[in-house]
Amino acid sequence: MYKTAMIIDDNYTDRYIGEIRLKKHPFAVDVILKDSATSALEYLTLHANEPHALPEVIFLDINMPEVNGFEFLEAFSFLPELVHQTCSIIMLSSSISSEDHQRAHDNKFVRSFVSKPLNKEKLNNILVS
Amino acid sequence: MNYFVIGYFAAGLIFAWFYDTWLIALGVGGLSLISYYSVKSALPDSDLYQYVLSAVYGIFTAQYIYQMHGLFEMHFIAFISSALLITYQNLKLQIPILIVVVVHHAVFGYIQNSGVNEVYFTQLGYFDLQTFIIHILLAAIIFFICGLWAYQLNRYTKKQHDQAFEMEKLQKESLLSMSKNLHMTNEGLNEARKTAIEKKLHADELEISYKKLSKTNQELDKFVYSLSHDLRAPLTSMLGLIEITEEETEDRLVQTNLSMLKRSVNKLDCLIHDILNYSRNSRIEITDEEIDFREMLNDALSSLQYLNATHRNVEIHVDVENNTSFYCDKLRLALVLKSLIMNAIQYQDLKAAQPFINIRVKNTEKQTLITVSDNGIGIKKELQEKIFEMFYRVCLYSEGSGLGLYIVSEALAKLNGRIEIDSELGRGTTFNIYIPNGAVSLASHTSKS
Repeated sequence: MYKTAMIIDDNYTDRYIGEIRLKKHPFAVDVILKDSATSALEYLTLHANEPHALPEVIFLDINMPEVNGFEFLEAFSFLPELVHQTCSIIMLSSSISSEDHQRAHDNKFVRSFVSKPLNKEKLNNILVS
Repeated sequence: MNYFVIGYFAAGLIFAWFYDTWLIALGVGGLSLISYYSVKSALPDSDLYQYVLSAVYGIFTAQYIYQMHGLFEMHFIAFISSALLITYQNLKLQIPILIVVVVHHAVFGYIQNSGVNEVYFTQLGYFDLQTFIIHILLAAIIFFICGLWAYQLNRYTKKQHDQAFEMEKLQKESLLSMSKNLHMTNEGLNEARKTAIEKKLHADELEISYKKLSKTNQELDKFVYSLSHDLRAPLTSMLGLIEITEEETEDRLVQTNLSMLKRSVNKLDCLIHDILNYSRNSRIEITDEEIDFREMLNDALSSLQYLNATHRNVEIHVDVENNTSFYCDKLRLALVLKSLIMNAIQYQDLKAAQPFINIRVKNTEKQTLITVSDNGIGIKKELQEKIFEMFYRVCLYSEGSGLGLYIVSEALAKLNGRIEIDSELGRGTTFNIYIPNGAVSLASHTSKS
């Protein structure tokens, strides 16, 4: 089990489902919910030097207004080394595009690609890997 | 020739000096001159004047003989005249002069022989018949030779003329045909240029419409993709909520209802997948790449894991005989495989003790043969043709959209492949899929370029 996880998703229902899943599983003690990539980046920048405040796992949605998942990943690469070392990113999307899958795979910060909705099996797989 | 006639007349005047024959020179010479010129000026187009000239030459000869008092050498004048007439290239022109000579000799010879004074025909004392005959014969031979000469000359000239004419005709003809050919070539060139321009225009139009079409295609693909995502996003939210709720409740009724709700959501999700697949199959360009069948089948099977929640577990055997590399469009091939496996899982026979799916892949340099067989519910013989039709569903309780096998056949058409079905109701179904190896077309492509 992780200490802290973060969910970045513009959709309220999906954040709600994610929070319940992570807490019930249990997957993480604390779950930080962010409704946009920008607010998530703000948080990560703010706590860039506090390893205990940084989420160990970030569930990242792809299709979001303003800054989407891939743009978040680009901005993420400019964050301090400590953030990269602490946070592993899991793409959580309802996308069935093979291009999106490939693009996620090719990014060095992305640990895996998980299709929505989150369930026990998928969370187990993440914990095992 | 006119100068010669005048020369003859002048010669007559000169000879008049010797024996004072001025009257003869002026009278006979003058008359001859007048008759020649009058005929020539009156009938310039006729050759009558030539005959007159011939006679005139004979008369002049006779005149000179008389003027020179029968001087024998004056006979040469007749031969000169005869030679001159050759230039007209007419054998018959020798006849008037011959007649004049014969008549002159006969008449004057007779007159002189009868003892008339001052006839001055010959210096001989007596002109007998034998001499006359020899004289005339020799003259005739000379005239004949000159005539023959004239005739030959005429023939050669004519031949030459004809040849020249023929040549000219040939040249004209060849020029004509050349110009004709040139004209035709020109027309052909114009036509070719016109066609080329038209073709170019056509090609330009085609290129523009191709660009427009491919842009439309891209936009449409993007649209379908965005739409499918936007449709799927709330579906996955619903599915997530259903699953959480299922775990929270012990109520059987609520659980039954939730599982029905889940089924509906999955069905809708399948439809969205199918529409997206159909769109991509018809729009995305074919790109051949080497196929790893084991990896592809594993991906397909893992993406179909969700079916395990609602269906009995099916035993799946995979046998890949990979003797040679196989090249194909990955997207479409995966689509075909996934569709067939999904069908086999969904339409398993619940009465069967051990449901299974056998997947066999056999690659050759030319093609691949993929066999997907199951012991599922099977399809009635009379319905087997229809299963590849759009929106056709075999049974009432089928879960699909009726697009699955239609898209399979569409995708196979794009891959130049074909599908065969062997099925028996209650026994199971076998699909044989033949797809040409893209390496062949790749090789022919590179050898062409």
